[in-house]
Amino acid sequence: MTTYTVYKEQLPGLFEKWSKLYALHVPARLREGFYDLVPWKKDLEIAWDYDVAYNSAKRFVMPPHEALITYDRRTCEAKPVFDAPKQILFGVHPYDVKALNQLDQIMEAGSPDQNYIRRREATVVMVFEPLTVSSSAFWASVGASSVAHGFDLYWTKIGPAAFTVEVGSVRGEELLGMNGPLLASTAGDKEGARRAKARVLAKARKNALRYNWEETPRLLAKCWDSPLWRRYSQMCLACGSCNLVCPTCYCFDIREESDDQLETGVRSREWDGCMLEGFAKVAGNHNFRPKAQDRYRHRYFRKGKYIYDKIGELGCVGCGRCVRACTAGIANPLKVFNELWEETAHEY
Amino acid sequence: MAKPKIAFFDFAGCEGDQLQIANLEERLLDILGHVEVVSFREVVTGHSDDYDVAFVEGSITRPEDEIRLKEIRKNAKVLVALGACAAIGGINCLKNFMAENVYREEVYGGSARWFPTYAARPLKSVVKVDAEVPGCPIDPVEFARITKELLQGRAPWIPDFPVCVECKQAGNVCRYEMGKMCLGIITRAGCKAACVTEGAHCWGCRGLVPGANLDAARIVMDRAGSDRKATQDLLRFFLGDTGAAL
Repeated sequence: MTTYTVYKEQLPGLFEKWSKLYALHVPARLREGFYDLVPWKKDLEIAWDYDVAYNSAKRFVMPPHEALITYDRRTCEAKPVFDAPKQILFGVHPYDVKALNQLDQIMEAGSPDQNYIRRREATVVMVFEPLTVSSSAFWASVGASSVAHGFDLYWTKIGPAAFTVEVGSVRGEELLGMNGPLLASTAGDKEGARRAKARVLAKARKNALRYNWEETPRLLAKCWDSPLWRRYSQMCLACGSCNLVCPTCYCFDIREESDDQLETGVRSREWDGCMLEGFAKVAGNHNFRPKAQDRYRHRYFRKGKYIYDKIGELGCVGCGRCVRACTAGIANPLKVFNELWEETAHEY
Repeated sequence: MAKPKIAFFDFAGCEGDQLQIANLEERLLDILGHVEVVSFREVVTGHSDDYDVAFVEGSITRPEDEIRLKEIRKNAKVLVALGACAAIGGINCLKNFMAENVYREEVYGGSARWFPTYAARPLKSVVKVDAEVPGCPIDPVEFARITKELLQGRAPWIPDFPVCVECKQAGNVCRYEMGKMCLGIITRAGCKAACVTEGAHCWGCRGLVPGANLDAARIVMDRAGSDRKATQDLLRFFLGDTGAAL
């Protein structure tokens, strides 16, 4: 793929143009130590060195609340609702794109999720190679430090005011070229990008699994009865925070509400999570995962085994958001997997 | 089919929940179009004891309240608790942690002995409650939805998960990550995390979420640096009638 070199002074002009065609979101500082993708506006300072976006990119392709159909009780008709705003996510880190790519695979499988797919297609993803690493992140050790697809442009900062931009799609190249001809990267610029990646990888590897991530499903298969599940889940508040901040958790609940005339209505979905007590409640008030322990174990099996069994990768990209979000301090895939590894080390 | 008859009642409380309903304005006219209101003193005049659904606001604080509430229960097919006082006892329960002579003196002064009161309690401590619209004050949007669900013969739904879920949906930065206290971890959601979204923290006005892990919550609050007295004050504010209050 083609790689161009772009200078910082070109950015305001490009952002200006893009924001007229798309809702443009860029990384910015919310408060000391907290960053997120926020709507771009003129003179907004971009947080190039952000460690992790407080909220994952999931909300842009699978919003917390989303109308699916409208219905009319008088005519017994239902119509699908497709809302897919054109948006650019500028500066998404590779592990979050890896999460989007995983959602793509899952949403396409079986009966394709049309609402998701349309939103994803309307979303331009511009990756940014991280410069810093969150203290709770471990993406380098779960195979999520780089992505080969799923983005339109891949930005790497190679100097105080210069970037290399690798093209991932025709759409991305057209957007980049909107303000005139582009400068192809020199061999030196490309080498600069490689070094930038090597630098951040060295930082990211400080938090790591003690084994090859591909062993995780085999490890979990031996750990169903581990005492660890009870030890940690005693503190579980069943608040679902770990699910909801997770860039790969996609479970949702379906609700319906009539209009005030009781004639028409909307069926919508909203985020749900397997750590919530009501998640596994079915007809007749039966709950097939009634205890926090069952739910806690389920989530780790989901991340480390069930998703792997489906698509051959972990359901965890190592962003570390659940580690930060858990007020009880028990959500930590890195710690849990490493402790299970220690527990079973004598068996290898 | 005849329109269901509905009536509103209040006990110890500020009538703020009925005011929230009146605040629905045009929407209220649409919703009330499906029912016959026989008693709603903030909106219409007149009263009748012939009703199907009773919306009851306020908590029970006197022996004679019990008699009146049992009468309402007998007349109504469906009894809905409206607001924190009715659903969980709410701030009226603050007095339950004080000596009786102290709070009666404080409220009624020299006439204290004319007004017998006892520990404040929610409606469900006295009669069977069929549905709740929690919150202080209630969310009129939730009231509208629950009323429509009742009209359609559906089971009225209120969230059975904590406020954290709605904070995450809203994308709020967690109060605990900012070194602050918050009761969202044990409080029933449904408010769209309104207080946190506006920059404050959760006070627990919607009551405990089913299955709230209170032991864990106390440890979390301890770790967040809250002293025992501050934790106690926060838990007693709305949750005085629940197992959460120390």
